[in-house]
Amino acid sequence: MPRVFITGLGFVTSIGNDAATVTANLRALRHGFELYPPFQKPEIPCKVVGTVKGFNTESGDPEDWTFPERYRIKRELLRSMAPNGLFAHCAMLQALEDARLSEADVSNPDTGLYAASGGSPFLTHFHHERLLKVGVMRCSPLGIVASIVGTLNFNLVAAFRIKGSSGGFSSACASSAHAIGFALDDLQLGRQKRMFIVGAEDGNNDAILPFAGMRTLSLQNDPNLASRPFDAARDGFVGTGGATVLVLETEEEVARRGVKPYAELVGWGQASDGHNVAISHPDGQGLLMAMRNALRHAGTAVADVDYVNAHATSTLIGDISEARALKSMFGEALPRVAVSSTKALTGHGLSLAGAMESAFCCLALRNGFVPGNAHLTRPDPECAGLNLPRTTEDRAPRIALKNSSGFGGANVALVYRRVA
Amino acid sequence: MSEGVPTSPGANKSPVTAHKPFGPEDETALRESLKRCSPSTFEAAVQFRKTNNAEHVPAVVIGVIERFVEPDLRIKLKDADDDLRLIEDLGIDSLTMMEIVILVEDVLQMSINNEELRNLRTVGDVKTFIDCKIRGLPLPKPTKFLPIEHIGTVMPIQPPFLFLNEASVSSTSANGKYKITGQEFFLQGHFKDNPVMPASIMLEALGQLGVLYLLEGAPTEPGKVVSPQTIFFTGCEGVRAHRICKPGEILTLSIKPKRMKMPLATFEGAIRVGQDKAVIVEELTLTYGFVDAANAPVPINGNADVPPAVSTEAAPSTTPLRAAINA
Repeated sequence: MPRVFITGLGFVTSIGNDAATVTANLRALRHGFELYPPFQKPEIPCKVVGTVKGFNTESGDPEDWTFPERYRIKRELLRSMAPNGLFAHCAMLQALEDARLSEADVSNPDTGLYAASGGSPFLTHFHHERLLKVGVMRCSPLGIVASIVGTLNFNLVAAFRIKGSSGGFSSACASSAHAIGFALDDLQLGRQKRMFIVGAEDGNNDAILPFAGMRTLSLQNDPNLASRPFDAARDGFVGTGGATVLVLETEEEVARRGVKPYAELVGWGQASDGHNVAISHPDGQGLLMAMRNALRHAGTAVADVDYVNAHATSTLIGDISEARALKSMFGEALPRVAVSSTKALTGHGLSLAGAMESAFCCLALRNGFVPGNAHLTRPDPECAGLNLPRTTEDRAPRIALKNSSGFGGANVALVYRRVA
Repeated sequence: MSEGVPTSPGANKSPVTAHKPFGPEDETALRESLKRCSPSTFEAAVQFRKTNNAEHVPAVVIGVIERFVEPDLRIKLKDADDDLRLIEDLGIDSLTMMEIVILVEDVLQMSINNEELRNLRTVGDVKTFIDCKIRGLPLPKPTKFLPIEHIGTVMPIQPPFLFLNEASVSSTSANGKYKITGQEFFLQGHFKDNPVMPASIMLEALGQLGVLYLLEGAPTEPGKVVSPQTIFFTGCEGVRAHRICKPGEILTLSIKPKRMKMPLATFEGAIRVGQDKAVIVEELTLTYGFVDAANAPVPINGNADVPPAVSTEAAPSTTPLRAAINA
């Protein structure tokens, strides 16, 4: 089976809109939170969001949007995008440049694209309101493709003339991790030579606030305290949006093009809790199985894992489930595995999370550091035994494990290896 | 009682009729709708909404189209003739067409249905269409796409001397295709061991497209139709053959009326193979005449929608092009 490498990354995130800025912020543990202006109302108790900077997508009309000068996007493309589509388009352009891909490398039958976003509740709402106002036959002809789940792949596949596999994943917060896993399968089975993975979310009112009813959002109004995975005082997650793109290529393509990869994607695994529609299994059973499956696929021993980028979102139940799964997984090796959740810096990117945090792992593996646990002061007693570094460690992990869990008890684990 | 009927203004005092006075809120809404259009588009729309004068419609329509065309293509609209094609020349796809329609509907307070839309291929089509709608005139004949069965039913010319496999006819042009099969009887001798489509036959094919236009697309007088028996070849000028055409190739034929004055119809015509010019005709003239629609021959298949046709026995005596061009 061919080996698979990550050769390009693109970011539009709360902690930076390019790889260099993201790397610097990860190392320095600088978060991307702000008091989000649309939340600063008495009737909205949550206040903090991991905001995307340099973009304004408040309007339902894409022609009103503003975004960094370096991106030129025709109206023809913009008109069918959701905010997360715009973020993803820009991240895609970065990733193509980063991986030094030509147009021919991008548009051919051996190159595909898998994407994940929750669609755009914002635009669904906007277009439906308009439909009611102006009449059924005058609703926007592109309202559907701009807003339903799948909007990311519709737009990107058309804009970048993707000819290979394409599709989207909808396992909520495990979605883009699933996308990476299935892309790895496609590459190892020889179905494709190159895959783009795209995770993105709007990160606005309509995307984040509906989680309030579940009481999973942090109500902290201090941006420095709101997101603190594994901490005893955590009170829920902080929402974020943006986009991340990863370029996955087979070893042949890497050799042919002579590029230096960030990391190798050596395996993946998934398993489901079969437990509850929204609550994770108390012992993290599905996640434990997913991690085991991933290491088996990768041919990696438990003892070789030296970093886990946790799913931990800073919710009361989820973080504990994962902590228990990690304890069961690593046993005696637990103290040697550094565990951190970078959601302490970015917030929870939902469908974007798996791709964004996988890209963080790639940056850590290439640049030789282990991001610490920001905002962690007093770990939850349930996390006892976990090695939760508070500060960034200047050492290169060899194997990084990336966990993702989504609604319905979907769990995915991805195994990344440092490239010598 | 319908509120939107223009002949009964004020019959029903509804706050939402299309013909209530144009107020400041309407102007604000109109300004918002047209915020990405040129100021002159907005002005024309205001004038139309205030006066209902159809003279302002073209400026509004062009202004709305311009707003949806990529900036680097807008120059084409500056002094556009009506033949400017929406898809090929302006890059407008069917979705953009819907955006244009929705904005036009909104601004001119009218409704356009799906069937009507299918016939709009050029800027001229759009302008004429909207103008007819506003004035309450009958809509122009849409482009008709005619398969070979239909062509055979309508045409006085029949196989093996019919050189059209398919055609489309509108009120301003006709286009057709013919595939050279290699089985054409004349290719046995033209030339020896080297089949080449005769230039004279290619002119014949263009002439046949002209015949089809007269029968299917040309404007007629009320109660009259063009009689197939009256169509004959009269002349041809400025003919140039640019390349030879061989079996297997597909001829793309097009003609456009230059002058139509009873009893003469003059066309310009061209044949292409792919992108290559094959034959150009500056002027090809046919004679034609009307008969009363009531006296027109009954269509062969008895379908009242199909225009009159002649019986196959009549065909040999009414193939003037063959006689003329092959002479």
